[in-house]
Amino acid sequence: MNLTVNGVSHEIESDLLTPLLDVLREELGITGPKAGCHQGGCGACTVLVDGEPRRSCLVPIAYVDGGEITTVEGLGTPEELSPVQQAFVHHYAAQCGYCTSGMMLAAQAYVAGGGTHDTEAIQEALGGHVCRCTGYSKIVEAVAAAARGDEFDLTETAVGKYTTMTTGGAE
Amino acid sequence: MKVVGARIPRYDGVAHVTGRTTYVDDVRIPGTLWAKALRSPHHHAGITKLDTRPAEEMPGVHAVITWEDVPHLVYGHLEALGIPADEPLLAKDEVRYKGQPIALVAAENEELAVEAVSRIEIEFEERPALLDVRKAFDEDAPEIHKEGNWYRHFENEMDRRQIRKGDIAKAFEQADTIVQGVYRPAAIEHAPLETQVCQVVPEANGRLTIYSCTQALYFSMGVIAAHLQVPLNKLKVVGGTTGGGFGGKVDTATETMCCLLAMKSGKPVKWRWTREEEFLCSSTRAPWHMEIADAVTKDGWILGRKMLTLHDAGAYSRFSPYGLTKHSFHHTGAYTIPNLEFDGYVVYTNRVPTTAMRGFGVTSVSFATETHMSRVADVLGVDPIEIRLKNANRIGDTSPNGIVYTDPSTVSTIQTIAEAIGHELPADYRTMTSEPRSGEWLPEHLVAQTANPEDH
Amino acid sequence: MATASLALNEATEVLRPGSEDEAVEAFGDGKDVLVVGGGTIVVADLTYRRVQPARALLLRDAGLAGISRDGSRVTIGATTPLEELVDLPAPIGPCAANVADREIRGAATVGGNLCAGEGVEAPRGDLQGALIAAGATVRSAGEGGIAEEPLEDFLPKRGGRLLLSVSYEEPAAGAFAALDRPHTHDYTTMAVSGARAADGTIRLAATGTGTHGVRLPSAEGGDAQAVLNDVTPHDDALASAWYRRKVLPVLVRRVLDELKGAA
Repeated sequence: MNLTVNGVSHEIESDLLTPLLDVLREELGITGPKAGCHQGGCGACTVLVDGEPRRSCLVPIAYVDGGEITTVEGLGTPEELSPVQQAFVHHYAAQCGYCTSGMMLAAQAYVAGGGTHDTEAIQEALGGHVCRCTGYSKIVEAVAAAARGDEFDLTETAVGKYTTMTTGGAE
Repeated sequence: MKVVGARIPRYDGVAHVTGRTTYVDDVRIPGTLWAKALRSPHHHAGITKLDTRPAEEMPGVHAVITWEDVPHLVYGHLEALGIPADEPLLAKDEVRYKGQPIALVAAENEELAVEAVSRIEIEFEERPALLDVRKAFDEDAPEIHKEGNWYRHFENEMDRRQIRKGDIAKAFEQADTIVQGVYRPAAIEHAPLETQVCQVVPEANGRLTIYSCTQALYFSMGVIAAHLQVPLNKLKVVGGTTGGGFGGKVDTATETMCCLLAMKSGKPVKWRWTREEEFLCSSTRAPWHMEIADAVTKDGWILGRKMLTLHDAGAYSRFSPYGLTKHSFHHTGAYTIPNLEFDGYVVYTNRVPTTAMRGFGVTSVSFATETHMSRVADVLGVDPIEIRLKNANRIGDTSPNGIVYTDPSTVSTIQTIAEAIGHELPADYRTMTSEPRSGEWLPEHLVAQTANPEDH
Repeated sequence: MATASLALNEATEVLRPGSEDEAVEAFGDGKDVLVVGGGTIVVADLTYRRVQPARALLLRDAGLAGISRDGSRVTIGATTPLEELVDLPAPIGPCAANVADREIRGAATVGGNLCAGEGVEAPRGDLQGALIAAGATVRSAGEGGIAEEPLEDFLPKRGGRLLLSVSYEEPAAGAFAALDRPHTHDYTTMAVSGARAADGTIRLAATGTGTHGVRLPSAEGGDAQAVLNDVTPHDDALASAWYRRKVLPVLVRRVLDELKGAA
C-alpha cells in the first residue's frame, strides 16, 4: 500500500494492522512522532491524517492507504519554522520536548480549523495530550499566540546557526 | 543579573519544535536487536527453577542473560556514601518485588523477544509479602531483607536516622496542648513521556557505546563500570537528551543489562520499556508514614516536636537512606522548633524500590509540616498565617541538624503571601523582620535553644 | 528499511469489506474474528498482545457510517465516528462529547463503543447508557442472521455479534450527568443518562456500574435513592464500589431534575 508522508510518497511493506506510529518510526525512519504509551493515552504519537489530528499508535496502516500524513518534520524546518513552531519557541512551550511534536500537530489542526485564542477551547482541543514538564500554561499561550496570528522576533530565543529570521507571522 | 528575567535561547528549542531532537529511541543503528525482560509476577518468592535454554535455542534470539552473566552482581548506587549494596542487577534465587527483572533476551524483533521470554522456564515458591511499612516492626512480620526489615547502617550502625535537640520532655511538660497528626502521602510515579530506554553498541575496539536517557550520566557510568568490572574508558555514554526524568532516571535501570546483551550477542541492542512497565515496574517517589506531635502554647508557640517517620524504600535501599537524612534535616520546615525528638526509619517492603523525585525526601515533610501547622492553628483558634510568622526561622535560629540560619526568607515570603491573598495582619506582624529574635519574638523557650544538637 | 513487525500476529488474515453485505459475510458467526471499527480500542489490544485473532475485519470502508433521520427516528451507522454525535441533543450528544478527546473521537466508532468489552480496569461503552435511555434498538449480524432488538438485550451478547446500526426515537427531552476525574481526557467513571419520550415516559440508564450499561427502572418513578436496587457497583482503579454507591443517586437526581425542568 501507499502512503504520503510530508509530501513524499512511500510504498509500505509492513503488515496491514501495524500501527501507523510504528510504520513511521521503524519502517520509514521518521522519528518525530513518539511512542509514549502505545495505547492512545498520551498524545505523543499524534500526527495529521489528511489534516485531522489522530493518535498514530491507534491507526492501523490499512486505514491510511493512499492517505496524506503530516508529522512534525512536515510543519517546518529550522530554516523556515511554521507559525505554530515559532510560537512554541517564542513562548518556551517545550522543556524535554517529548510531547512537543504531538502538541504542535494538534495545535496546527486547531489553528488551521479556525481555532481562537480562547483558553478553554485550546485546552479542549489539546485535551488528549499529556505534558509532564511544563504545566501546560506556556503551551496554551503558544497556541493562543499562533491562533491570534502574532508575529515573533526569534533572535533572542532561537539564536543558532540555522535561525536567522527576525519576524514570523500567521499565513 | 544578566540571565534571570532575560529572554535567552533554549539551546534545544528549535530542535524540539522541528522533530530533530534525537532521543534514545530515535537512534537508528542497523542490526539492532530488541530486548525484553522476564519479570517477577510475585511480590515475594524464591526461584526454584530457572532455565533459559528454550529461549536461547529460538531462532532469531541472539542472547539471553541472567544473574550468572553479571561480573559484579550486587552493587550499591551509593556505596560511596556508605550505603551497603543489597540489590542484584538481575534476580538471583529470589524475587522481592513484582516486576523485578530476572532475565533478559535480545532478539531480531520485538515479537520474537516477547515469545522468547515466554519460553523461559521458571518456577517460584511464593513467600509472604510485606506491603505495609507499619507492619514491618511486628514480631510476626515476614523477613524480607537479609538485614531485617529496616535499614541499619546510619552512622555508628544506628538503625534509624535520629535527631535529638534541646529538652523534649520539658517542652511537653510546659505545653498547654499537644497537637497530633498522621500524614501518609502515597507513592508517585514520575510518568515521564519518554519511558526508560537504552541502546548499546559493542564497538570493534572493545568499547561499548551506550545511548542512555539517564539524568546522571557520569553517575550511571560508574554504576555500569562497577557491575561490568571494566575501566571507565571502556564506556562511551551518549546522554543528555532525556524525555523527562524528574528523578526517575537516576537508577541506571536499563543500561547495564543492555551492555551485557550487547557484549554477549556481539550486536547492538535496544531496550524500550512499555508504558505498562513504566507504571508497574519503574521506581517511584516513596510512600511515607509520618506521625507528628507538637507541644504548643495557647498563644501559638511551638515548644517542641516529636516525630516518627517510616519511609517505604521498597525492596532495596537504593537512595533511600540519603532521602531520609535530608528529610530529617528539614522536618521542622520553615519554622524554628528548639526541642526535637525525631526518629526515621528506612523500611523495606515488597514493592518496587523507591527513588528520587523532585525535592527527594523533603516534599513529604514539607507537606506534613505545613498541614500540621494549619492543624495546630485550628486547634488553638489562632490565625494560620500569624502562627507561621511567629514560629518562622530568623537569623541566628538553627535547623534540626544544627545549621545556623544566616538569611532565612520565611518571614518576608509569608508576609508577601498574606498581602497577595488580601489577608490582613496586625501591625506587629506586618513589621516583623528576619532579624535575630528580640522582644515579643523571643520567648523564654527560644532563649536557650542550642546550636549543637545531638544528632546522628 | 526494516519493516515494522513489532506488534502483530503475522498469521492474522485482514479482511476489508466494501459493503454491508461483504461485512456480514466476512463476519460469519463471529468466531475468532476481531472487528476493527476505528481501532482506538483494539489496536492497543493487538500492540500489547492481549488478542491474537485469526481474522481481523476492518470495517471502516464498508459504508456503515452516517446519521440518517426518518421523521423522528434517528439511525446511526456502526462506523459513525463519535465526534459526529457531539452536537446531538442530550443524552447522546453530551455523552459522546464526554468520551476521551477529539483525536480519539474522530476515529472511534459508535459500534466499537457499544460493543466494547469488559475492559479490565478501563470502563468503556459510554454510549450504552445514553442509547438505552433513548430506548434504542440495534441491528446486528451473526449466528442466526440479521436481527433487530433492544440495546439492553443486545449488550450481553455483543461479543458474538456484528453491530450494523442503532436507532431510536428522538426523545422530547434528555439529560446526562457524569462522574469524571479531573483531567481533560479520561475514562468516564460513572454516568447516568435520562430521556423523556413524547408520551412523558422517563427512561434512565447508567454506565460504570457493572460490566455494561444498564437500565435503572427503580429510579424512573422519581426516587433517586432507589437506583441502588438496580445495580451492584464494583471496585476498580477509578473508584470504589462504596463511592459509586454514594454518587450514583446524586447523578440520578441531577438527571431527573433536568428532565423535569426541560420544556
